[in-house]
Amino acid sequence: MVDILGGIVQAFQLIFAGDVTLYGIVCRTLLFSGVAVLLAALWGTPIAMVLALKHFRGKAIVKTFFNSLIGIPTVVLGLILYLVFSKSGPLGFLGLLYTPAAIILGEAILVTPILISITITAIEAVDPEVLLLAKTLGASDSQASMAVLKEALNGFLLGNIASFNRAIAELGVALLVGGNIVGLTDVLTTAISRYTQRGELDFAIALGILLLVIVFAINLLIIAARKVKIIFELWRSPQ
Amino acid sequence: MTLIAELKDVTKVLGATKVLDNVNLQINKGEILALLGPNGSGKTTLLKILAFLETPTFGEVKFQGGTVHAKNAELFRMRSTMVFQKATFFDASVYKNIAYGLKLRRLAENEIRGRVKEALMLVKLEGFERRSARKLSGGEQQRVAIARAIVLNTPLLLLDEPTANLDPKNVAIVEEVIAAINRGRGITIVLATHNMFQAEKLPQRVALINNGQIKEVGETSDVFGKLSRNLASFAAIDNTFKGIASDTGSGTTVVDVGNNVKVEVTTQQRGEISFFVSPQDIILSKSAIASSARNVFKGKIVAISDSGSLVKLTVDVGQPFVVQITKRSFVEMGLNLNAEVYLAFKASSVQVL
Amino acid sequence: MQTWQKLLLVAVLSTILFVSSALVYFHHFVKRRLIISTTTSLYDTGLLDIIEKNYEASHNVDVNIISVGTGMAIQHAQNGDADVILVHSPSMEQTFLEQGYGENRKIFAYNFFTIVGPTADPAGISGRPVKEALHCIVNYGRNLTDQSGQTKIWVSRSDNSGTHLKEQALWQAAGYNYTSVSTEPWFACVGSGMGDTLNVANQKSAYTLSDLGSYLTFRRGNAASLSALITEEQELLNVYSVMAVRSSVSGNQSVHEQVNYEDAMSFIKYLVSPETQQMITDYGKETCGQSLFFGAVQPLTTNSPHPVVDWIKSYAFFDGSECPPQYRNGYPELYP
Repeated sequence: MVDILGGIVQAFQLIFAGDVTLYGIVCRTLLFSGVAVLLAALWGTPIAMVLALKHFRGKAIVKTFFNSLIGIPTVVLGLILYLVFSKSGPLGFLGLLYTPAAIILGEAILVTPILISITITAIEAVDPEVLLLAKTLGASDSQASMAVLKEALNGFLLGNIASFNRAIAELGVALLVGGNIVGLTDVLTTAISRYTQRGELDFAIALGILLLVIVFAINLLIIAARKVKIIFELWRSPQ
Repeated sequence: MTLIAELKDVTKVLGATKVLDNVNLQINKGEILALLGPNGSGKTTLLKILAFLETPTFGEVKFQGGTVHAKNAELFRMRSTMVFQKATFFDASVYKNIAYGLKLRRLAENEIRGRVKEALMLVKLEGFERRSARKLSGGEQQRVAIARAIVLNTPLLLLDEPTANLDPKNVAIVEEVIAAINRGRGITIVLATHNMFQAEKLPQRVALINNGQIKEVGETSDVFGKLSRNLASFAAIDNTFKGIASDTGSGTTVVDVGNNVKVEVTTQQRGEISFFVSPQDIILSKSAIASSARNVFKGKIVAISDSGSLVKLTVDVGQPFVVQITKRSFVEMGLNLNAEVYLAFKASSVQVL
Repeated sequence: MQTWQKLLLVAVLSTILFVSSALVYFHHFVKRRLIISTTTSLYDTGLLDIIEKNYEASHNVDVNIISVGTGMAIQHAQNGDADVILVHSPSMEQTFLEQGYGENRKIFAYNFFTIVGPTADPAGISGRPVKEALHCIVNYGRNLTDQSGQTKIWVSRSDNSGTHLKEQALWQAAGYNYTSVSTEPWFACVGSGMGDTLNVANQKSAYTLSDLGSYLTFRRGNAASLSALITEEQELLNVYSVMAVRSSVSGNQSVHEQVNYEDAMSFIKYLVSPETQQMITDYGKETCGQSLFFGAVQPLTTNSPHPVVDWIKSYAFFDGSECPPQYRNGYPELYP
């Protein structure tokens, strides 16, 4: 364990040499997490809209349910999903276990609660009169909901980025339903775990550095998210 | 005269309260109709029903000959638009706010640009296109909100307290715009107000509304003349008082409105009369000042409501008087709740109803 | 229809589209998959990477290796989630075969477990037989001045892996009850793979049981102060077998019918072929200075070297055979 420094040096050599295996893992990670967040946003946005804008019995319970799911340990979800996707499980006939599709679906499920919660907060923060305003200016019900969603754009972006952050940094789901298969379903976190196990610490460190860089960049994005809308405005400004 | 909209036996129940109670109202094409009533009387709900933002619990709404119900309200909303009491904006530029409704109507970009410019000119805010709507002053916001509604050229325009909380300069501009688009474009306007002066000045007809019921509908002159007693029963309208007029012995008339408050007025009527004092006509000071005003009262501030550039104070001098002053004088005078102040107004400022 | 309903519809449709395109892609455009569930000790040494590469070069199939403990590998096979399993726990393998989940077992490699520990060897176990060595470790642990649980003398994987099962058997043979000895303060349970366990042992200057391959690989990657203190004893023999998952399991038909039996058998044949066997024996000679594994096929056919072959037979044979006839299914060439 005295050779940490040497490991770090080798890690940087790998990073700057553009090692194919290394960047293959990075690309896979970004792709899986990206598609997962896209799917989660597709499911989560309408649910968040209902929970934020409609009134119905048991709404508080549903919201609490999603809020408490935010903290679900990824291994627990991974285990549940393994049992679901396993050939002997209810969705086993699909044969998706140990494929990228399983990781993407799993991560999408993992981040859906966090996406929903943040989007709800963002929509609820919008002045409720905006909905009426859009309607009286001639918007249909759907156009009016879209107007509200647009007002909540910052929070919505924040929710997406936070979801991406969680997806990229999780281990349990990718390991248990992805199987950490070299070149197919290994992502940054599972690959770090593999190379640490094998004692190939330079590779593990290089992957760890890249993961940290990505997570750090995402957090910078969160800060910048507030400004994104302003840029949008300038770009689409009429005159 | 053709009708543009008609409410038949409309009742609206929200929770446990009947906000509107069996309202029947006909709105003539091309007129300005004022809904006059105290806060909470159901004016806003009535406007929302006319804007098809809410559907009545019972009753029928007809618009331009068609019957409106929940299913087709979306289509009717294109033909009627409402300006809310509290100016609400999309978090975007003035241009985008005003252009929103036009974009929904799929107008060409250059036509939208022209109409936005025209609307801004009408409310005297030329060149405000790129300003951020939410960062404008209260008066400017209200004018942008009105521009956003009139740019749509809907046959029916609904204004909810369009000049409440505005300073006189902005009030003048808004009232001018309302008059102009009614005359120039023949747009039917329904405006809700609790300001009697406005109700007397702009509209051809007035509907008195209280507790969710229409009490009187008629020509402005009729309502403000013959039906004064009904009007006066609206004790909830600011600065409206009822009392017995008697001679002072020195040629003037004094009305005792109870609780030791006696107001001098310039009328020859005797017996029970009602009158109204505009909040703008009352001068407020921290000490008794020598003036020609016949009515001077000492009292305590019992309520303060801050609304943009104007501050509305309720002063209890035995009877509650509402006074409007600018935010600036409010700050300069260092006023706060329970502060002792003096009110002064001329006998000629008192409007006998 | 309201916005959220439209959006939800879009979401459901795109999910269906996603899943179905994934299905179409994986079933029609990708090479056949052969999923191998393997014990970590084989995987972490990197041996399987080379076998995979060579096998894929000569066969039109995509080999996917999932690295888990022997227990989980067998669970995978039972669930129909793997086509081939590589394991090293004869007792579990026998149960597995008896339950009818697998067939055509072949012993393809062996090596020795080793008890590794701090080079200073404070318990003085070096050179002793395993039973004695465990006695020394227990005595040393029980006589420690620090009984707070901070100082650990023995690190156990405790993950139900083949290595863990072996460890339990060794404690048993030495006359200890594993369940009670594992609760003593000097006894650490890691619950993780061999690499992690070696890391912990290294950090704590403690003893542990490791397969030789993992230990040598670990020593290569880390400036480790751990030494292999006891090795090459009958009790420490470690035997790796391969089994195909049965594609027809009574009462569990639908689960197993998707099992890729043909490629599984082709892989098993490849694994026991002389070339691969030689490759296994040579693996690690360059990087670690010694073999990590020894091919088991030739020793078992030629009955040499002694006494290792006898050890293998007594340890890993069932009814005098590596795969009794009732667990075979065709492929007579595998069992000459």
